[in-house]
Amino acid sequence: MNDMRLMERSAMTNDVKISASQVQVFYGESHAIKDVNVDILDKTVTAFIGPSGCGKSTFLRCLNRMNDTIDICRVEGRITLDGEDIYDREVDPVQLRARVGMVFQKPNPFPKSIYDNVAYGPKIHGQVRSRDELDEVVEKSLRRAALWDEVKDRLSAPGTGLSGGQQQRLCIARAVATSPEVLLMDEPCSALDPIATAQVEELIDELREQFSVVIVTHSMQQAARVSQRTAFFHLGNLVEYGETGQIFTNPGDPRTESYITGRIG
Amino acid sequence: MSVPLLLLIVLALGLAGFFAGRMRALSVAGGDLRNLHSLPGFYGWSVAILASAPAILVMVIWIAVQPIVIDRSVSAMIPETAISDGSTRDLVMADVRRIAEGLDQAVAAGALTPDGASNIRAGLSDVRGRLAEVGVALGANVSSESLRAAQSYRSGLAAGRLGMTAVVLALALGGLGYGLARITPRFRARNTVELAVRMGLILCSMIAIATTVGIVLSMVFETVNFFGQYPWQDFFFGIEWSPNFRGNSSLGVLPLLWGTMYVSAIALSVAVPVGLFSAIYLSEYAGPKFRAVVKPAIEVLAGIPTIVYGLFALITVGPLLRDYIAQPLGLGDSGSSVMTAGLVMGVMIIPFVSSLSDDIINAVPQSLRDGSLALGATNSETIRQVILPAALPGIVGAVLLAASRAIGETMIVVLGAGAAARMSLNPFEAMTTMTVKIVSQLTGDTDFAAPETLVAFALGLTLFVITLALNIVALWIVRTYREQYE
Ligand SMILES: Nc1ncnc2c1ncn2[C@@H]1O[C@H](COP(=O)(O)OP(=O)(O)O)[C@@H](O)[C@H]1O
Ligand SMILES: [Mg+2]
Repeated sequence: MNDMRLMERSAMTNDVKISASQVQVFYGESHAIKDVNVDILDKTVTAFIGPSGCGKSTFLRCLNRMNDTIDICRVEGRITLDGEDIYDREVDPVQLRARVGMVFQKPNPFPKSIYDNVAYGPKIHGQVRSRDELDEVVEKSLRRAALWDEVKDRLSAPGTGLSGGQQQRLCIARAVATSPEVLLMDEPCSALDPIATAQVEELIDELREQFSVVIVTHSMQQAARVSQRTAFFHLGNLVEYGETGQIFTNPGDPRTESYITGRIG
Repeated sequence: MSVPLLLLIVLALGLAGFFAGRMRALSVAGGDLRNLHSLPGFYGWSVAILASAPAILVMVIWIAVQPIVIDRSVSAMIPETAISDGSTRDLVMADVRRIAEGLDQAVAAGALTPDGASNIRAGLSDVRGRLAEVGVALGANVSSESLRAAQSYRSGLAAGRLGMTAVVLALALGGLGYGLARITPRFRARNTVELAVRMGLILCSMIAIATTVGIVLSMVFETVNFFGQYPWQDFFFGIEWSPNFRGNSSLGVLPLLWGTMYVSAIALSVAVPVGLFSAIYLSEYAGPKFRAVVKPAIEVLAGIPTIVYGLFALITVGPLLRDYIAQPLGLGDSGSSVMTAGLVMGVMIIPFVSSLSDDIINAVPQSLRDGSLALGATNSETIRQVILPAALPGIVGAVLLAASRAIGETMIVVLGAGAAARMSLNPFEAMTTMTVKIVSQLTGDTDFAAPETLVAFALGLTLFVITLALNIVALWIVRTYREQYE
C-alpha cells in the first residue's frame, strides 16, 4: 500500500449528509450497537470496517430504517438526514428508502427482466411520466452502473441469468435508478470474483460524484482503495473514525492498530 | 405343506443362515476381525438374504401363477357340450371349484376317504347328496364332466403344492449352503448386502408402479369393451345422458363433463382467492403466534371427511341458497344446486391452496423482500410485484392440484348438487358430475356386459386422463419454478 498516496486523499466536501448521535440498537435483550456518534459526509465514500459480528451491517441498516423490518430490533438515539430526524414519526420509512438506497451482500435481482429490475423503483415512486422517460432512466442507471454495454441488447432477458458480478452491478443500477442521495452498500463484493470486484470498486469511485456512499467491507485493502473516510467498529462500539489515510497509517486507538495489522479478526 | 408354515420355515432358515454366516466369518477370520473385508454381521446378512429372498420370491410367483395354469388345464377338460344353454364356461368353472371345495370338506369331515374323493363317480353315487351331508350345498346335480374336472382340479392343486414346497425348500437350503460356502475373508459381504438392499427398494417402487399400470389397464380393458358396444362419437360428443337398462340409452358425456367443470370452477373461484389471500396474510403479515394457531386450523378443513361436507351442503347451504337467493331471484327452487356443491367444495379445498401457497411464498428468498423494501416499496407492493410473480408458477401448481381434487370429488356433489345430468348455465339448478354417475351406474343390480354399466369405466378413464393431465401440468410448472432459485 502506497502510504504517500493515502495521505493525499481527502474528502471532497465537508457537508454533513447523515449525522448519528448516541445510537443504540438492541436485538431483543442483546445490545448490538452502543453509543455510536458519526457524521457521514456528502459526496464521500465512507467505509465501515471491523471484525464480523461487530455491528457494521446493523448500523448501516439504521440509516435507511431497514431494521424496522426486523421485529425484535429496537433503535434509540438520533439519526438525521440533511438535518431531519429520520426516526421522527412524521417520516415515512418507505419514502426515506427511496432517498437512501441499499445494495446487499449477495446480489438479489428480482426474477424479472433486466429492464424491469431497473425500472422497479422509478415506477413505484411515480418518478417518471412516460415510457420514454423510463427508458431514459433505465439506460442512464445501467450506464452509471457500467452495465449498459453488456446488456443493452437483452434488456428483456431475466436479471437472474446474469453472472454474479453483472447481477451486483444490476442491483447497483436498480438502487441508483430512484436517484437516491445516499447509497448504502453492505459488503457488495464479498460474493464476487476479483475482476468483478475491481469493476464494482471502480464504479463506487465514480458514484461518489453524485452520492454519499457508505460501504461495509471486511477487506481493509478495499476500504483503503475506495474510501475517503473510515469508521472502525468493534463489539458494537465505534472505536475510531477519520480520514482513511489517517486510520490506516496512524491509528489513534490500539484496537484499530491491532485490527489493521491483523491481530484481531 | 401350507403356505404360512412354508414361509415360517424359510424365514427360520434365513435366521439360522444369519447366525451361521456370522460364526463362519469369525472362524475364517481366525479371531482377528481386521482380516475380514466387512463386519461379521454383513456376512450373516448375506447368507440370510440368499437363503430367504429367492425362495420367497419364487413362492410368491408360484402362488400367483399356479391358479392360472390349473384353471386353464381343467377348463380344457370341459367340452362345449357340457355347458348348458344360458350358462357360460366361467359359471361351470365356478361350479367345478365349489365341487372341489366340497370334496375337500367331505374328506376333512370324514365323510369320504381321500381315495374315495379322487375316485368317486357321478353316475354311481349321489355326489350332491353326500356333499350336502357335510354342509356343501350345490345348485344342481353334479354332471360327470364337472366331477371329473373337480377331481383333476384337486389333484392339480395337490401336485402344485407339493411342487412348490419342494422347490422352495430346495432353494432355501441351496441358498443357505451356497451363502455359507462363499464366505472367505476377502468376500465383500458389505457390498453384497448393499446390492440386496437396493434390489429390495427397487422392488417396492415397482409394486407402486405396477399397481398404477394395473389400474389403468383394467380401466382401458373395460373401456374398450364399452366402445365395442357404444359408438365413441356418441359418448364424447353426445349432449344427452339418459341411461336406460332396457337398452336404447343415450350416454353422452358432455352434460356430466359440464357439471364437473361447472362445480369445479365455482369451487376454485372460492378456494383460490380465499386460500391465496390467507396464505399471503399468514406468510407476510401474521405474527408467529397467530400463524401457529391459524395455519393448523385451516389445515383441519382438509381432514374433515367429505361426507360431512356433503351433509353440510345438504341441510344447511342448499336450503339457505334456495330460500335467500334462488327463489327471490326467480332462479329456481331446487335445494340441491351446482352453487351449493361448488361453494362447499371450495371450502374443502381452501387448505390445499393456502397450505401449498404458503410454503411456496415462504420459499421466496428473504433477500428479494429486502431488495424491494430497500428501494422504498411498501409491503403490499413488494408482495404484488416481487413475491407473487416469483411464486406464481408454484401457486399455479397448487391451484391445479386443488382442481384435480375438486374434479374427483363425489360425496359433496351427490348431496349438494343432486344427480340430474343437465347442461344449464343457471348455477342454482341441480346438475351432476362424472364421479356421481360412475357410482350410480355401478350400484344396484348391474349387468357387467351392458353398456350402461361399462360406461362407468369410460367415465372413470376420461376422469383419470383429465386429472392426470392436470397433475402433469402442475408438476411441470412446479419443477420449472424450482429451477429459478439456485
Ligand atoms: N436479525 C438479527 N436478530 C438478532 N440478532 C442479530 C440480527 N442481526 C444481527 N444480529 C446480531 O447483532 C450483532 C451484529 O451483527 P451484524 O450487524 O450483522 O455484524 P457485522 O455486519 O459487523 O458482521 C451480532 O452479534 C449478531 O448476532
Ligand atoms: Mg454484515
